[in-house]
Amino acid sequence: MDVSNLLASHAAKFQSVTVEKETPLDVDAGFLTVTDLNPIDEESYRSNLEEYLQSTARDGTQALIAALYALPTQLSPDGPLAQLPPPTTALPRAKPLPKPKAPTKWELFAAAKGIQKQHREKKIWDEEKQEWVNRWGRDGKNKEKEEQWINEVKANAAVDFDPVQATRNARKARVAKNERQKLQNIARSQAVREERSERKIEIERTLASTRTSTASMGRFDKKLEGDKKMRGVKRKFDPTEASAEQEKQASLALLSKLDGEAKRRSKDTGGDNVLNVRKAIRSVSRGKGGVALGRDAGRGGAKGKRGGKR
Amino acid sequence: MLRTIKPRNARSKRALDAREPKEVEDARTAIFVRGTHTGEVVGAVMKELMALKKPYAISFSKKNTIRPFEDASSFEFWAQKNDASMFIVGQSTKKRPNGLVIARTFDSKVLDMCELGVDKFVSMSELKTPKSTPGHKPMIHFASELFDTHPRYVQLKSLLMDLFNAEIVDSICLPGLEHVISVTVGPSPPQAPSVAVGGTQQEDTKNLPKVHLRTYTIKLSPSGTRVPRVELTEMGPSLDLSLRRCQEADPALWKAAMKRPKLKKQDIEKGLGKKKKNMEVDEMGDLRGRVHIARQDLNKLQTRKMKGLKGRPGEEDVDMGGGASEDEDEGDESPRRKKRREE
Repeated sequence: MDVSNLLASHAAKFQSVTVEKETPLDVDAGFLTVTDLNPIDEESYRSNLEEYLQSTARDGTQALIAALYALPTQLSPDGPLAQLPPPTTALPRAKPLPKPKAPTKWELFAAAKGIQKQHREKKIWDEEKQEWVNRWGRDGKNKEKEEQWINEVKANAAVDFDPVQATRNARKARVAKNERQKLQNIARSQAVREERSERKIEIERTLASTRTSTASMGRFDKKLEGDKKMRGVKRKFDPTEASAEQEKQASLALLSKLDGEAKRRSKDTGGDNVLNVRKAIRSVSRGKGGVALGRDAGRGGAKGKRGGKR
Repeated sequence: MLRTIKPRNARSKRALDAREPKEVEDARTAIFVRGTHTGEVVGAVMKELMALKKPYAISFSKKNTIRPFEDASSFEFWAQKNDASMFIVGQSTKKRPNGLVIARTFDSKVLDMCELGVDKFVSMSELKTPKSTPGHKPMIHFASELFDTHPRYVQLKSLLMDLFNAEIVDSICLPGLEHVISVTVGPSPPQAPSVAVGGTQQEDTKNLPKVHLRTYTIKLSPSGTRVPRVELTEMGPSLDLSLRRCQEADPALWKAAMKRPKLKKQDIEKGLGKKKKNMEVDEMGDLRGRVHIARQDLNKLQTRKMKGLKGRPGEEDVDMGGGASEDEDEGDESPRRKKRREE
């Protein structure tokens, strides 16, 4: 059976969809972009420009289409949806990254105390009505006391005491308090970085760059009166006088570091090079082991102490 | 400066919130600005580019006295006012006929600019061929090694990609791909080693090879395989451009503009971030992991327990105790044990 004909037709089919280039084409499927880094064929460029442009564009597009059709797809009423990978080309952003929202005072407190946030449903079950009602808002549960037709009043209440008005005032006060706290939170978050200080930094940066922008990197520039010296990176030292607590912390940290190192070394070699600790313990404890040895030693020591007291 | 607006109702608040910076940004909105004198060619070029850019395009129909390379303050104002971050300025002067300036902004400040001269222009209407649907995303094709090596062309590529395709989308409808924008750079002149290094600006721009921008519609025909065969038809606009002045981005501003958001944990699991080893999400959406266990140590294998094979009591203590305590306290020893050790 002669299959060369079949093979040839199969190869022809494939040739029409594969692109062979010296440098492989660089496809960025996330941005639907293909870059052909092969040098221009000058001869065909000069002889027939439009045809040449169209043929290179066709090859590039074919490679891009092949890459797109190789992606995993989902079905949709308009046709297959190709799931695009994230783009590889880095393009500059149009706006700076969003700043993280400053935590409120409550959020800080909750984080410190380890309080988990709980989702609070907006609807609440009303036993009497036997239905779900709003927790607040229209026909809210929080207005229940104000809307009921009879109210309990204590015997020693003032003559002009209005229970409905009292509960209403209490509710309004809670709302006002919440609003006040919200404003305080906003004020606190904005106080973090003021506009003025930001502008100052920007001006200083511009000034520094202009002063080193001459041909001599600012070396032969005329110094103006009141010009500040340009500063580089400054070395920092710990203060010579520190509180006792800080000193203690630092020393302990150093000690624990040394201790840890010694432990690590002993674990590595099982003692120093001169003494084989395991062997020594075995011989000293007569094969009973280190724990038994320690137990005995502890018992002996405790006895001794008690004896001393008497 | 613009006055700061305090939203008075929910609708205006939503509109203002939509302008706030986002982690994953939308496509850049481009403003098409006419300079003091535009001329027929550049006016038509801008109209056609705008047709490609729609719906993210705003047209300024009045003339504006603007010199982008001398004073870019107008850009900053327009960028804030219109929430746009890209500008195409068309201007034709005696010194620089048929000029087209592409500028982009970061945080309403001009990031970089590139001036192009239109040498040849073929309009969409001149070519009686099928056109693409307005608003469909184009594919872009760049052809030249200069797009990787020469800073001017690297910038041009970045600007054109930002202009036409800078939106990050997670999926695209394959039949919706209708047209391709192809950008090819001509061969560099033979006696131009100064292209990358030397010469003044004036000399430099003359030596830079031309840029050919073509727009084609694609026709997919079945090829017998999964991948269809692509055929192109010229759609227009077709532009031959030459590079003129340019303004590079300020390094500090560029660095700020290139900051990437931290990827969320979920994205990392999906494989968008750094791929985690031995973890995959199967077709059902479940996260599956593979665990590799070290070779089994057969010396520790628990075989049949027999009384005779049991170790002496206290033997384990020696192994576990290590160097915990070594006091010179001698306990009593039995002769039986000593005997055994000597064996």
